[in-house]
Amino acid sequence: MSQNPSTTSTLAGTGVSIDIRNVVKTYKTMTAVDDVSLTIEPGEFLTLLGSSGSGKSTLLNIIAGFIDADSGSIEVGGKDLTKVPPYRRDLGMVFQHYALFPHMSVWDNVAFPLKRRGVAKAQVAERVQRALDVVELGHLGKRRPAQLSGGQQQRVALARAIVFQPQALLMDEPLGALDKRLREQLQLEIKRLHRELGTTFVFVTHDQEEALAMSDRIAVMRDGALVQVGTPVELYERPASRYTAEFLGESNIFTGRTHGVDDGSALVVRPEHVRLSAAGAELPSGHNALDGVVREVVYLGSGLRVEVALPDGRHLITRSEVRGALTPSPGLPVAAHWHPEHALVVRDDTAA
Amino acid sequence: MNTKLLCRGALVLLAVLTALYLVAPVFFVIPTSFNDSSFLEFPPKAFSTRWYEAYFQDPAWINATLNSLQIGVWVTILSVVLGTAAALAMVRGRYPVKALVSGLVLAPVLVPYVIIALAVYAVFLEMGLTQSVLGFVLVHTALAVPFVVINVSAALVSFDERLEMAAMSLGANRVTTFLKVTLPCIAPSVAAGALFAFITSFDEVVTSVFLAGPDLSTLPVQMWSGVRVQIDPTVAAVSTMLLLVTLALFASAGLVRLFRARRLAEAA
Ligand SMILES: Nc1ncnc2c1ncn2[C@@H]1O[C@H](COP(=O)(O)OP(=O)(O)O)[C@@H](O)[C@H]1O
Ligand SMILES: [Mg+2]
Repeated sequence: MSQNPSTTSTLAGTGVSIDIRNVVKTYKTMTAVDDVSLTIEPGEFLTLLGSSGSGKSTLLNIIAGFIDADSGSIEVGGKDLTKVPPYRRDLGMVFQHYALFPHMSVWDNVAFPLKRRGVAKAQVAERVQRALDVVELGHLGKRRPAQLSGGQQQRVALARAIVFQPQALLMDEPLGALDKRLREQLQLEIKRLHRELGTTFVFVTHDQEEALAMSDRIAVMRDGALVQVGTPVELYERPASRYTAEFLGESNIFTGRTHGVDDGSALVVRPEHVRLSAAGAELPSGHNALDGVVREVVYLGSGLRVEVALPDGRHLITRSEVRGALTPSPGLPVAAHWHPEHALVVRDDTAA
Repeated sequence: MNTKLLCRGALVLLAVLTALYLVAPVFFVIPTSFNDSSFLEFPPKAFSTRWYEAYFQDPAWINATLNSLQIGVWVTILSVVLGTAAALAMVRGRYPVKALVSGLVLAPVLVPYVIIALAVYAVFLEMGLTQSVLGFVLVHTALAVPFVVINVSAALVSFDERLEMAAMSLGANRVTTFLKVTLPCIAPSVAAGALFAFITSFDEVVTSVFLAGPDLSTLPVQMWSGVRVQIDPTVAAVSTMLLLVTLALFASAGLVRLFRARRLAEAA
C-alpha cells in the first residue's frame, strides 16, 4: 500500500469509545453471548478472540445492529445505539467473504456509502480515488470484483468501509479466507491503516497469533462469555486461567490432580522459560526441575522446539537456541528446569 | 466398445425423434399458412399470402391482438411486483408466513384451470367483470404469479444475504438496499419470470374462453373460435407470426446474456 500520509490523513476518523453493557443473546437453548460487558477505548484496536462458536460474530453483529440482543445495551461515542438500525449507526464493516457488490465496478462499490450520504459528485470522485490509493488499487477502479484476487477484493472492502470515515471499523475474520503470506501482509496493512486513521477498530479472529500481532487489547471469548481482557503482553505473560494460557501460545500445564492435591488451580510454564541441562549437571540455584528423556527435536530455523518425555508419561515442551550449551537429540536424558518466577498459578477452568 | 457406441446411437436417435415430435406442428403450420385454399390444407397446392392479408384487414383479429398485448403487459407488471414480493416473503419470512404464502401462491398451479375458470366466471359475471380488460388481467395474474415466484425465489435462495448487511452497514436503508443491491443481483431471474408471466397470459385459452365475448376477445380465443366455428386458414398465418415473435424474444434474451458476458470479459 502507499505510504503517503497525506492520503490517509484526509480519510482519518475520530476514534470513539464503544460501551457494551450486559449484552445477552440466546438461541433456543444455546447462549451465544452470555452477559458480556466491555468498554472499547477511543481509537483502540480491540480483538475478539475465541474458538469457532464462541460468540464473536454474534457479538460483532449486535454492535453493528444486525442482531438484536435479548438484553443489554450498545453505546458508541456515548450515544445509545441499541434501538438504532444498522444503516444509521455509521460503523464500517468488513466481512470474511468480502461482500463486494458483484454488479458494480470497484469504483462504484467504494462510492456506494458516499452516494448514500449525498456527498457531492466531485467530492465522491476525489474520496473514492483517495481510498483506493490507500489500499493501492487506484488503477483497478473499472474492474468488477470477480476479476480481482481474494487479497485485492478484501482491500476494496477495506477501502469501501473507510471511505465514509465511520465512527468505528468492525471486521469479522477479514483475513480468514486468505493464504498465510497474504494474511500476514494484510495484517500489517490493517495495522498501518489503524495507526494512520486513528479510528476505533474491532477485529474478530480465532487465530491467536493474529490477535497477538495486531491488537492493542484482546478480549478472549469462550462459550459466549468473556474470559479475560488485556493487552497481548498481559494475556501472554499473566493469563488468569488455564484456558487463556492454552489458547494463547504454547504452555506446559501442571495441575493439582497430577500432584495429588486438586485445589482447582494449575501451574503454567511457557516453553521459552524451560531450560534443558544434561541429566545430573548442576542446576542454577532455586530452579524447579523435572528429569526426563528427549523425545523429539524440531528445527524451527530461529530455534529448536524440544519435547521431553517425563517418567509419568506426560511430556514437556521447551524452546531453545540452536547453538545452546546442550545439543538435544532423541533419547538423551535431560533435566528440564525453570525459575519459579516463570511458573504462574492460574485458575483451572478447563475441567469438563 | 461396441455396446457403448450402440447406446450412444440409440440416445441420439431418441433425442432426434423427441425433437422432431416437439417441432412437428411447425412443419404443418408454416406451409399451411401460405396456402391458397380456403381450408386448412396440407400439403398446400398453391402459394399465397392471402391469409396474412386477411389477418391485417380483419378488425376482429387486430383487436384481439391488441387486447392480448395490453392484458399481457399489465399481467407482466402486476405479477412481477406481486411475485417478487411473495418470493421475498417465502424465502426470508419466518415459518408460518413462509408456509402460508407458498401454499397460497402456488395453488393456481395445482388447481385445474377449468375449475379456476368456472369459479371465476360465476363471480365475475355477477360483478360485471367478464369481457373486461380488468377481469382478464386479474385472472391471468393469478395464473402467472407462480412462475415469477418460482424463478425469483430460486435466485433469492442463492443470493448472499451478507451483501445486504454490507449495504446497510454502508448507510443504505432497507428500500435502497433492495433497489440497489438485491434487485440488480436477482434481475436476470426477475426478467425470466416476467417473460414467463407474459407468455402465460398471452397463451391462456381455458380461462379466457369463459371471460371472452363479442365485446372483448383475446388472440388465443380468436384462434380457437377460428378453427371451431369455421375452418379459417388465418389461424395458421397467426400461428406462424406468433412463432416468429416467440423465437425473436428468446433469441434476444440469449443475445443479451451473451453481450453481458462479453462486456464483463472486456473489462478484465
Ligand atoms: N441464527 C442462529 N440460530 C441459532 N444458533 C446460532 C445462530 N447464530 C449463531 N448461533 C450459535 O451461536 C454460537 C455463536 O456463534 P458465532 O457468534 O457465529 O460464533 P463465532 O463467530 O465465535 O464462531 C454458535 O454455537 C452458533 O451455533
Ligand atoms: Mg464467526
